[in-house]
Amino acid sequence: MAKVKAFTMPKWGIEMAEGTVAEWSVAENEPFARGAVLALIETDKITNEIEAEADGRLVRILAQAGEIYPVGALLAVLADGEASAAEIDAVIAGFKQADTSFGDEAPTVAAAPAPAPARTAIPADANISPAARDKAEAAGLGIGDLSGSGRAGRITAQDVDQALRPVPDAGLVGPLPATPASTAFASPLAKRLGHVHGVDLATLTGSGPKGRIGKADVLAAIDAARPVPAPAPKAETRAAAAPAAPAADHVEIRPMSSMRRTIARRLTESKQTIPHFYLRRRVRADRLIRFRAAAEGTRPTLNDYLVKACALALIEVPAVNIQVHGTDIHRFGQANIAVAVATERGLMTPVVTGADRRSVGEISAIVAELAQRAKSGRLTAEEIGGGSFSLSNLGSFGIEQFDAIINPPQGAILAVGMARPEPIDDDGAIRIVPVMHLSLSCDHRAIDGADGARFLQALAALIEAPQLLD
Amino acid sequence: MAVMNIREAINQTLAEEMARDSSIIVLGEDVVGGAGTAGGQEAIGGIWGTTGGLFAKFGPERVIDTPISESAIIGAAAGAALAGLRPVAELMFADFIGVSLDQLWNQMAKFRYMFGGKTKCPAVVRLIYGAGMNSAAQHSQSVYALLTAMPGLKVVLPATPADAKGLLTEALRGDDPVMFFEHKALYGQKGEVPDGEYRQRFGEARMVREGGDVTIVTCGRMVSFSEKAADKLAADGIGIDLIDLRTTSPLDEEAILDSVEQTGRLVIVDESPPRCSIAADIAAIVADKAFTSLKAPPKMVTGPHSPIPFARELERAWLPSPQKIEDAVRQVLAFR
Amino acid sequence: MQLSREALLGAYRRMATIRQFEERLHEEIKTGEIAGFTHLYCGQEAAAVGVCDHLSSEDMIVSTHRGHGHCIAKGCDVRGMMKEIYGRAGGLCRGRGGSMHIADLSVGMLGANGIVGAGAPQAVGAAIAAKLKGKGNVAIAFSGDGACNQGTTFEAMNLAVVVKVPAIFVFENNHYSEHTGVSYAVGTDRDIASRAEAFGMKAWRADGCDFFDTYESMRELLDYVRAGHGPAAIELDTERFYGHFEGDPQRYRGPGELDRIRAERDALKIFRARVGEAKLLDLAELDAIDAEVAQLIDEATRDARAAAPPDPATVAEDVYVDY
Repeated sequence: MAKVKAFTMPKWGIEMAEGTVAEWSVAENEPFARGAVLALIETDKITNEIEAEADGRLVRILAQAGEIYPVGALLAVLADGEASAAEIDAVIAGFKQADTSFGDEAPTVAAAPAPAPARTAIPADANISPAARDKAEAAGLGIGDLSGSGRAGRITAQDVDQALRPVPDAGLVGPLPATPASTAFASPLAKRLGHVHGVDLATLTGSGPKGRIGKADVLAAIDAARPVPAPAPKAETRAAAAPAAPAADHVEIRPMSSMRRTIARRLTESKQTIPHFYLRRRVRADRLIRFRAAAEGTRPTLNDYLVKACALALIEVPAVNIQVHGTDIHRFGQANIAVAVATERGLMTPVVTGADRRSVGEISAIVAELAQRAKSGRLTAEEIGGGSFSLSNLGSFGIEQFDAIINPPQGAILAVGMARPEPIDDDGAIRIVPVMHLSLSCDHRAIDGADGARFLQALAALIEAPQLLD
Repeated sequence: MAVMNIREAINQTLAEEMARDSSIIVLGEDVVGGAGTAGGQEAIGGIWGTTGGLFAKFGPERVIDTPISESAIIGAAAGAALAGLRPVAELMFADFIGVSLDQLWNQMAKFRYMFGGKTKCPAVVRLIYGAGMNSAAQHSQSVYALLTAMPGLKVVLPATPADAKGLLTEALRGDDPVMFFEHKALYGQKGEVPDGEYRQRFGEARMVREGGDVTIVTCGRMVSFSEKAADKLAADGIGIDLIDLRTTSPLDEEAILDSVEQTGRLVIVDESPPRCSIAADIAAIVADKAFTSLKAPPKMVTGPHSPIPFARELERAWLPSPQKIEDAVRQVLAFR
Repeated sequence: MQLSREALLGAYRRMATIRQFEERLHEEIKTGEIAGFTHLYCGQEAAAVGVCDHLSSEDMIVSTHRGHGHCIAKGCDVRGMMKEIYGRAGGLCRGRGGSMHIADLSVGMLGANGIVGAGAPQAVGAAIAAKLKGKGNVAIAFSGDGACNQGTTFEAMNLAVVVKVPAIFVFENNHYSEHTGVSYAVGTDRDIASRAEAFGMKAWRADGCDFFDTYESMRELLDYVRAGHGPAAIELDTERFYGHFEGDPQRYRGPGELDRIRAERDALKIFRARVGEAKLLDLAELDAIDAEVAQLIDEATRDARAAAPPDPATVAEDVYVDY
């Protein structure tokens, strides 16, 4: 019988209220010795390592890297040897979050779940059918904004049902992209969902008649792929009351997800602590566009070429291919380019490692994969970390030029706008060609103007001579 | 991938399958043509051109011209299937189920069930149907609703050459009686057809396009009419989920219900009079199973409750059209 | 020609089985325990056995609503048949077909059929299959003097001639199509066999109450058909002792008719007389057979009455091979 117990968020210093598990340093069930680093915890003030007090293993890891947890929250289950699922579950079930709040303030850790919505009483003279009234009251639906589809505007059960229906997946209303033909035995909607969410239907077993894959199967697969939430109360519940019903002037209050809170925190920190400066230049894109058009097979995107160009330019100007850690500058031998991907939940920056060594075609495939996984929430920690430079391209949204915020601990980030026809000096003649505006944001603590300029020069030369890219 | 029309797809599939399986025989009126005449054999290869060349390849024992005796043709197909062959009988016009209905309805459809599940009747009956070629009331009907209503039969309506090949192959490989409907005005329809062996499951509808605003459910020739309507509607930013049923029995309910849950608006296009039609059947299924998703009543676009007229203007007025389909879509969108 | 002892005993056994099976049903139906319509074959035993005793299990027959005799003659399991008629789960068709739809393809019985005349085209189809297989098998459609007026019968006969297949049309003329006499219903003043001849096939005529006459004519016919000459027909003159269906008051019978045909046209009595006369068999052996058959029918009936009914939950099964 192993000794199985809870592993919780430590309290370092009187003021610490919460911490972020920056990363786990051991894998689930991996045995460690006393003194081994188990995890890296970030607080407002410091990032610190938690060391093992004794030999053992984390038989179940519950906290996710990158998420914030209050002091005392259950992060993992610790045992001195192997433990059965039953023992582990017992610890989890029996765990009580300690009250680590500061007496006079409102508790920042809500141990209780959000209060159940009260049954909204509907006035007796409302023009609503009895069945609809029952449904609405039970669901706590305010009928003030409902228009009834029944006789003389009466609200019907159908109206209530439709009002309670969740907003359909943004990927599934309005004009839809043509789904690539799939040979999986699946309903058309399942194929569509699979395509939008990047689920490979070949990996699913269908629960429909004759084993057909249906919407439910794909949605279950999407849910299963989402990170498992920790049982401890999460940041969301600490927010003010559950989303209020739309007020009279329809203001909807949405608490930030933990991901958004992290983004908020990091970018605020970046802007506040890093002395940004910006270098801007234009670059002619016509040769690149033509070069791309001549590519055979599945054509890489323009951005894929830019990733390669940045990678090669970073190798040429290694002063920009860095991470800044306190007073240390880490210079990288290869170019690990973080590519910005917009997802429903926020901006993510998965990294293409060693982009200088890869062909544009390879980069294209990798970026596509990472983007899909980013959108379906399946990126791993390794895929997000370790970047030495970032590339952000808003050209497809019609942005002509912009300045991006550096992603610490990187030293720089390139912002690219759309290629639009502009006049250039082409060997003495004025010609109108597609031109992109580049903006390089640099951390002046580690990168000087000349370094940044030389990088842009190298980059422009590559973009304007694209045959060098592949 | 080869490009061919529906006629060619059917002809090729028959030839390939007959070469592969010696128990497949073809019988019908003038499937070869010329028997007992001075002009000689293979005078026509089927009046729709779908059985041409089979006689030369497979001979009189497997490609059989029959007298005009629909009951005997279909009955013989039923008996041959019980006796271990895989007959493909042709009803030159689907309307002729009238003179052969017992063998379809009381015999072929019911053998397996009546005999306790101990027999199978793997017969394929090819029925040529549809209006639009001025063939008048007795040679233009879509009788698939009647046959869909009969438990024991499978009812199949390809709208593309690929589906003609895929569904016919599936019919010939399966062990149930299949009513294979060929629209007389679709034979020339061209499309890509996969090479080699290609089967299309029954009960799996084809999403022709996805647009998310209104669901159109249809089959056969009405698919291409609906596509034209959808193109016009797309120009106005109205997106159509267009479902080609492929088979009315078994029916892909899931595809229909999934789409209606998203769009809430349903238009069913059926080349038939409205009473007891496939359109009415699907409207009932959707009203039963997706009622709370509907934002408007289901709309049926069908012919009127009348036989099919002869004169061009009248036949045109009888048939559903892309314009009528478009109007129906706008109507369900405008519903409150 | 001389039939072996086994053949003769076998023929009698089969005829006796049919007779006793049907007679027993006649009694049991009165109790109300058997649902639906039943059409008894008593009186026509020589026709079924005289035809089917020539056949192997690879030869096929299609029968009519009056099919118990053909089923038994072709080799269907008597107990399974009884259970089917009683609508039990263990019946030959799992209780789904009943009296009019008994089938057993493993012995070449392609089904009794509730639609008059439906079997003829199916037999032509089966004959097409037989011809293609090339093993010399035949397919037989049993019809009555009623079915011989159905369009399907005419179409089938013509088609059989046109495609020249080994289809055999056996017309059991028991003089009544339901409640109407053959002299009215069949328009020609000649017999039914001549219709088949008019369609272009050879036709025989025989006494359907005399096993030997039927058997001999069928031997010639089958030699002809198996030799590949195309289809053939035979009209068997016979009688049915009971009504069209059980419950039929038989008001169409003449005075003393039923007694007369029981006395003069009883196939079992005629068989006994013929074998006794020619000293082919000892009548005591036939009595012994009667006793054995009686026991078989007893057991079959008892088993059927005690057998389990089908499970209602299975009502929609077996519609398709592949759902």
